[in-house]
Amino acid sequence: MNWGSLVRTTIVVLILIVLHYTLRPLLAWRTSIDFLLIALVFAAVRMRPAAGAAFGFFIGIAADSLALGAFGAGALAATIVGFSASYMKAVFFADNLALNGFFLFVGKWLFDLIYVLMERRMHGTELVMQLIVWSPLSAAVTAVAGVVAITILRPILEVRSA
Amino acid sequence: MARGAGGGSARLSGRFDTVVFSGCVILALVASALPNQMRDPVASALRRSVVSPLVGLQKNAERWRAAWLESERKTLQRDTIALQLAQAQALSVENERLRKLLGLGSRLAWGFVPAEALHTSGRAEDVVTTMTLTAGSNAGVAQYSPVVAPEGVVGLVQTVDPGMSIAILYSHPDFRVSAMSADSAPAFGIVYPHLDVRPGRLTERYLLELRNVPFRSTLSPGTPIFSSGLGGGWPRGVLIGTIVDEVKDSASWSRTYIVRPAVNPAHLTSVMVLTPQRRSQGVGNIWAGAAQVQAATRQIVAGGDSLAREAAMAEAAARRAAMDSARRAGIGDSLRLTPLPPDTVRRRPAATVPAAPRPRPDTTPRPDTTPRPDTLPRTP
Repeated sequence: MNWGSLVRTTIVVLILIVLHYTLRPLLAWRTSIDFLLIALVFAAVRMRPAAGAAFGFFIGIAADSLALGAFGAGALAATIVGFSASYMKAVFFADNLALNGFFLFVGKWLFDLIYVLMERRMHGTELVMQLIVWSPLSAAVTAVAGVVAITILRPILEVRSA
Repeated sequence: MARGAGGGSARLSGRFDTVVFSGCVILALVASALPNQMRDPVASALRRSVVSPLVGLQKNAERWRAAWLESERKTLQRDTIALQLAQAQALSVENERLRKLLGLGSRLAWGFVPAEALHTSGRAEDVVTTMTLTAGSNAGVAQYSPVVAPEGVVGLVQTVDPGMSIAILYSHPDFRVSAMSADSAPAFGIVYPHLDVRPGRLTERYLLELRNVPFRSTLSPGTPIFSSGLGGGWPRGVLIGTIVDEVKDSASWSRTYIVRPAVNPAHLTSVMVLTPQRRSQGVGNIWAGAAQVQAATRQIVAGGDSLAREAAMAEAAARRAAMDSARRAGIGDSLRLTPLPPDTVRRRPAATVPAAPRPRPDTTPRPDTTPRPDTLPRTP
């Protein structure tokens, strides 16, 4: 990643993080959009797996500081998602919207799975409903929002040549 | 060699990634396993440094959302109150209408069938001429039965089915009723719907015409018109409406008057259908009494208004006189702060000093004031 790409990626990630703390509370949907995960996947696929894992850990631990009940759970989930996204991108190496949407869907579901299991707050039917119904719905909404966001922010990401 | 160096670099890179990933995972597991007293300082430090601006953003977003929800809630409350008010008004109107209908039912006592009036939905620009009634032959409704409301004439039953019937309103072109005025010298005529209406004045289409009134009978505006009972179609004494104006037509041999119907078809929800027995035996002066009460009420209100007007005029005149006298005494100008109207400043002398009555021109001196020639002076 060169400096120009790094700056552009940083701008997009910052926009997504700001959206997570402004648009998400405004919408307040039951299946909310996880802009932090979009930012994580978006940045991780442009980084080395180690950097993706570190970035995931940083984002996760920052988010966990606001939810003391699950401190560390988000960090673990985001680390695994960041590393996996970077690794999968290196293996498959494709840059199209459908693949990005698929990464986002799987990443968010995986994140929720790890987070809910690590949090150890839900049990029984509630846990099953969360993992089978609400998490996939939230993952789908996040994937759609991520695809839309990437499409909108694409002009920032494209390198213009003379 | 180069491949060996590249493969070694890739292996090193992969090992580095694995090490970093493993380190992050271990750190996350450690963080989740930390006791609260060790976890809180770390979380607090993060909240006060990196996460602080994000928390500020979230706080503002939550505040916006709360304001938006509050606004929505207040709008909902306002709409609910407006809806309840509208429903209350509709209920009040319906209640008053049902009370009137109950009153008419108690006055009629027998020989009527109550029915709900269902309006046929059509275009707004169409004149409503028929309505469906929820009572039919099973309830005693017969063809050509008069349909009345507490206010007066509504229409005539045209088609009767066992469970329902269809009535024509007074606005229907086929509607006729023999009518008369309610004064000491009643004028008779036939009431027709007012069909000759200019385009764009649809409301006049609901007026009626009282035709064939003899020239010797003059009706003033406001005169109530009742069914006369002639012809047997309608019983005598059902209020039709009130006279609005006369239609000037020099070529005609009789007078024609415009009549404003007593019943507004738009407000009809319930009606009474008079049975044939009741039609033949009459309805007495049920509507005439109601019309007299209304007329008396109007007169009382008008009388009260005129009394109040006269009292106000007398008070104004007294005030004017007091100010004029004060002005003549020389204190008015010093006391007056605002200029008086012109008609109060200049006062005619005739208003203060009444003129002596002059003798009428046709008055001559009494002849007995002069001594008669044959009268001698009285001697003591």
